[in-house]
Amino acid sequence: MKLRRFFLIFLLADLVGRAADLPALWAERLKTVAAVEFYTETETERRPTVAYGTVIDHKGTIILPPVAINPRMTPSQLKEFKVYRSGSATGVPGTYLGQDALTGWHFVRADPSIADALAPITDFAAKQFAEPAMAEEIWGIGLRNKDEDFAPYLLVSRVALVQSLPQRTAIALQEVAGPGLPVFNRAGEFIGIAASSFGQSFVQFSRMDRSGMPVILVNVEESSAFQLAPEILPYLPRIPTNVFGRPLAWLGASGLQPIDPEVAKFLHLENQSAVVVSEVLEGSPAEKAGMKARDIILAIDGAMLPRLKPDRVIVGYIDREVEKRTVGATMDLTVLRGEAKVELKAVLGDEPRLTTEAERKYFDRIGLTAREFVYDDAMSLRIRKVAMAGVIAHFVKPNGPAAVAGLRTDDWIKEIDGVEVKTFAAATAKLAEIEADLQRAEFVLLVSRGGETAVLRVKLR
Amino acid sequence: MLKFLVVSLALATSASAAMTKGFDRLLDAVVRIDVREVAFEDGAKRFASSIGSGVILSPEGLVLTNAHVASPRAVELSVTLSSLERVSARLVGWDHWTDLAVLQLDLSEVKRRGLKFTHAEFGDSSKLFVGQTVYAVGTPFGLTRTATRGIISNNNRYFEDSRGVNGYETGTFNTWLQTDAAINPGNSGGPLVTEEGKVIGISSRGYLGANNLGFAIPASTAKRVVDGLTHDGSITRSYIGIVPHAMQDFETFYSVALNNGMLVNSVDPGSPAARAGLRAGDILLAIDGAKIDGRFPEQLPPIQNQIASAPVGSTLSLMVKRGQQASAYSVVTEKLESRVGEEWVLEKWGLSVRKVSRTFARENQLEDTNSVLVIGVQPGFPADVAGLSRGDVITKINQQPVSSLDKVKAAHAAYEAAPKPVLVEAQRNHQVSLYVLKP
Repeated sequence: MKLRRFFLIFLLADLVGRAADLPALWAERLKTVAAVEFYTETETERRPTVAYGTVIDHKGTIILPPVAINPRMTPSQLKEFKVYRSGSATGVPGTYLGQDALTGWHFVRADPSIADALAPITDFAAKQFAEPAMAEEIWGIGLRNKDEDFAPYLLVSRVALVQSLPQRTAIALQEVAGPGLPVFNRAGEFIGIAASSFGQSFVQFSRMDRSGMPVILVNVEESSAFQLAPEILPYLPRIPTNVFGRPLAWLGASGLQPIDPEVAKFLHLENQSAVVVSEVLEGSPAEKAGMKARDIILAIDGAMLPRLKPDRVIVGYIDREVEKRTVGATMDLTVLRGEAKVELKAVLGDEPRLTTEAERKYFDRIGLTAREFVYDDAMSLRIRKVAMAGVIAHFVKPNGPAAVAGLRTDDWIKEIDGVEVKTFAAATAKLAEIEADLQRAEFVLLVSRGGETAVLRVKLR
Repeated sequence: MLKFLVVSLALATSASAAMTKGFDRLLDAVVRIDVREVAFEDGAKRFASSIGSGVILSPEGLVLTNAHVASPRAVELSVTLSSLERVSARLVGWDHWTDLAVLQLDLSEVKRRGLKFTHAEFGDSSKLFVGQTVYAVGTPFGLTRTATRGIISNNNRYFEDSRGVNGYETGTFNTWLQTDAAINPGNSGGPLVTEEGKVIGISSRGYLGANNLGFAIPASTAKRVVDGLTHDGSITRSYIGIVPHAMQDFETFYSVALNNGMLVNSVDPGSPAARAGLRAGDILLAIDGAKIDGRFPEQLPPIQNQIASAPVGSTLSLMVKRGQQASAYSVVTEKLESRVGEEWVLEKWGLSVRKVSRTFARENQLEDTNSVLVIGVQPGFPADVAGLSRGDVITKINQQPVSSLDKVKAAHAAYEAAPKPVLVEAQRNHQVSLYVLKP
């Protein structure tokens, strides 16, 4: 026993001794990080956002984590991208390239003028990647805020746990990098990129509330979880060719719910995962393949769904299986329907127009942004595709005429001034006409909310 | 000056004389009601006690109170007479839409014990004026035979409360009397009376945190409901599925004459009105040839009541204006149902359920009514352990559709007899999940 401990200490000492000088590794690898600043413009506001990203190629392309951009924003609302090197007060213009559906990354490209000052993370990839061992020392980069010139600082930790969520993800003892920034091993090899931090549960006591209140704290500036390099490197070429990341592979099996071990046992489905399909979307590839609501998916392309922990993770796994494939690719699905196993062959389609792709138009005098009615709206309102018509109130200006009349965000506008508005063009033409008519005292909207309608009188004067 | 004084003295004497006779008689007719009722909410059968008020209406011992005091959940009802003697009673019927219930005193007990009671009389609530003195009599916070005085603050108040009577809808078919006579918890079901002791309303509710804003169901409504409940044990109403709105502010837009018409704000999908072709934004001008006036919100309950009063299955002819065109639509009425279905508790599973009603299914966009809603689970019991929670909609048990509450009860009885795992399919926000209830 004594001998073994001695051996361990000896081994550690040896590793430290052989590892390159950390300051030298640090200086080289700082070139792989950047801060990206942009403005989000809404109808009434303009707000700066800063996100941190990792450089992926020699052209100055940077990936930002999925949460960097509010999913409700459409790319045309994102303005003035600027890229800053760590420790730099001046940025250069950047271009937003779009989001990749599989990884969720947002891609931004820096002006070529700083391309030389940046280095792609691929330069530091290990020749032969080895999953970090438990307790292995790792380090990463954090960036301070803009008022501190995005000054870089060192974070050091050790690997505590590696899990499939479904991506291979390591969790460190403490924060190891800013979200979106790279993590390295002691030899300076790239081993992963920090994901959004996990929440940590605490109980908060105060003078007012001595019984304690459970709270979850999330460190938004640093993270202790990172996705391992094999979940990053192969996907770097997925640079979107358009801001919406089209084409988007689509199956149309919606509301996937994992089954828990007890249910699996009841259904004799041990040692694998399975998910219940809540709904099969109208006109989707899943529907065409003959999938039915309440089918239980057991296998994809003949391979049983792997057993992942927690149960919920399998849903992300299936989503990724779809998104890894291309539009037009075939996906073989084995489902359990009642007692019978059924084989389905789905040909993946291109996802219907997204909410972010929908046309929008703001009417300041009315205090309303009308948005084109898209497929997702029909699904969330639970109506048939054929009933798709009208527009959605995407934004209702607080205390504006529409808001005072009782209109709320996400209301479905079906009629304007007693006239049914079938299309976005018809609705916006009508609204533009009302907005331009300064003599107008009022107009009437017929809106639907939660399956019930209401007639609203909008007073303009 | 003197004459005037004499006159006013005479008036004062006559009023107080009336009070001694009529009011005294009324006081003897007001009762305290002690209720023990069962609740199913927590995945277990639990009993709760409460106190309310009531008024005896007939020599046969009919007692009028609120539906939120005495409901079908009551397992034990006892009435304390003005003589302080306690008599048991049973529920004759209730109507949550108007928040009224009728009890029957146990007359054999009354006779056996040689008890006496008087009964009160209804006054004409339509003749009440704002400022008129009224008294509320009841059992606030258990203080029996408490009388408080106030005035009629408003004789035609409109409000609806979709969950007002223990989760059931109320206020759709009547307006309310508003009074500043103090109405406190426990006053519920007690009468609001004139100086002469005539019952012109049934005290029902007050605003919490407000000063002296009390509300009572007018006698005109109460009389009708008492007749119906005494006769049939329930009030059957017709439903056509339109959600009305006052015309006020919309007359110009729809170019209709003032004081004619009611706006159809929404039409329930799949309802008789929807099937007949009515649409939101239509203006209802007349029902069976009789013009209607829904200019102000206060005018809506009588119109709703007119529709509801039609026999179930009868055909109403609705004159409807859409755009410039007015045309007649024939609508066949259906029976009005509450959103709240029958409740039950499956004790071995620690699971409380409520049958999904047509209204609930429509409001929640469920495909059909073949399901039950989870209204409570008991921690540590099979339903809770499996992951079911309040708000889930159970659609299948052991792969059989839940077409009735009896099916659920049967599955539970089978489990009780021979416990073995049960597969449950349920939806939460339309997401389907499976659960196993294990012994």
